[in-house]
Amino acid sequence: MPASALFSATIERLINQMLSMDPDSAARLKPLAGSRFVIFVTPLPFGIELHFSDRVDVLTTQQPRDALIASLTAADCCIQTSLDTLPTLKDTSQLTRLIQEKKLNLDGELRIAQQVSALFQQLDIDWEEHLAEHTNDVLAHEVFSAGKRMHNTLLTFTRKLSRTVGNAVVEEKQLAAHRLAVMHFNDEVSELRDDVARAEVRLQKLEEQANKN
Amino acid sequence: MSDNPNTPSTSENQNTAVTTDFGYKQVDKSQKASMVANVFDSVAAKYDVMNDLMSLGIHRLWKRYTIDCSGARAGHKILDIAGGTGDLTAKFSRLVGPTGNVTLADINLSMLTVGRDKLRDRGLISNIDYVQADAEALPFPDNSFDIVTMAFGLRNVTEKQNALNSIYRVLKPGGRLLVLEFSKPTTEQLSKLYDMYSFHVLPKMGQLVANDGESYQYLAESIRMHPDQETLKGMFEKAGFEQCDYKNLTGGIVALHRGYKF
Ligand SMILES: C[S@@+](CC[C@H](N)C(=O)[O-])C[C@H]1O[C@@H](n2cnc3c(N)ncnc32)[C@H](O)[C@@H]1O
Repeated sequence: MPASALFSATIERLINQMLSMDPDSAARLKPLAGSRFVIFVTPLPFGIELHFSDRVDVLTTQQPRDALIASLTAADCCIQTSLDTLPTLKDTSQLTRLIQEKKLNLDGELRIAQQVSALFQQLDIDWEEHLAEHTNDVLAHEVFSAGKRMHNTLLTFTRKLSRTVGNAVVEEKQLAAHRLAVMHFNDEVSELRDDVARAEVRLQKLEEQANKN
Repeated sequence: MSDNPNTPSTSENQNTAVTTDFGYKQVDKSQKASMVANVFDSVAAKYDVMNDLMSLGIHRLWKRYTIDCSGARAGHKILDIAGGTGDLTAKFSRLVGPTGNVTLADINLSMLTVGRDKLRDRGLISNIDYVQADAEALPFPDNSFDIVTMAFGLRNVTEKQNALNSIYRVLKPGGRLLVLEFSKPTTEQLSKLYDMYSFHVLPKMGQLVANDGESYQYLAESIRMHPDQETLKGMFEKAGFEQCDYKNLTGGIVALHRGYKF
């Protein structure tokens, strides 16, 4: 079985499913119609082509990158990057920095890369509504509230953590943390642990409730 | 039963022979086209369902791989010959966009009609032409298409070499032909398993779902009578194609042949 075809079929289904859940995505797709966005991600052995129309068709290409670049038209853009840089591409303002740092090679139309990035970055999906279609409204609401609380807790934690680390770097503090700071950090970790434990119990209850339904 | 009682007809090499294969039967050459027409008239309505069922959906991946290898781009002119119910055409239509065009051609009107209705239901209208045509004598001017595809069609054609010659003529210089067709499994075990499936399971499935075991018996037999990978590659070269190669898919159950006209 051609594995690359299975790969592209899965990605294509996922992308179009997500786009169909966001009613505004059609407007962002429109300016991309007729364009092609090709991604070479090391270590994948093939390139991935996104072709835009009123939906996204995903193809894989065995063509070497050089040959593909030679075939680019004014409606094409080709990037090469690595798996760990990929998530950074969500933020269009990072593109220039990544190119300068040689973490991203871009050939063809930069505008297309920006539009593709916007297409996915601005995805606004009402997951709760879509889950409710398959379960019931109350359950969907509960699951999402619990999920959001957990997400917020984690967000607060990572923010605090990065502030602490950031301060340490910027202010060139001593590497050995102050005793008080360590105590404070420990308190925060315990607080987080309690939050997570509470969320876990809540989820467990919801799961039981869902099983009963 | 699974052993092939005949070897593939010599008509690939000798256009002068008066008989040709229709599955394992030898029939008069002038009869094959209408016999094949009967098969596809009979299966047209249930063709898509049976395809999914028989191949467990894998035919979609084989076709997707064919499209991956086609190099189709916005503005291209593509001929999907023996295109039947239009699986390849549907995707090509979006890839070539409003500046390109896809011609879905098939010898059988029932298959074309099912294909046209399906594509119209999906909103694919503006850049597709439907033409009833015999692959052996394509009704298009020389050098008309950037890409020609033929998926699971060639084995049904009476004179396969004529079809390849005809396709070569209508391709533009620089254009490519892709033929996706059942072929010869690369291992003995797979071959045995596949024989068992096609001669015992497939006709029964055809009888049960489409009430037409005979057509699916023909399908199994016609697959065995089709030239193997190397023979077909040789036929490509004979028609004038260059840089010919093939890729075995699913252990050679299916092969994708590719050749260029320069
Ligand atoms: C198995 S179907 C394949 C349909 C489609 N390409 C697919 O992959 O699903 C074979 C098709 O070949 C067509 N066919 C048979 N002989 C032909 C010929 N000489 N010229 C053009 N089409 C032919 C049949 O009518 C039928 O639609």
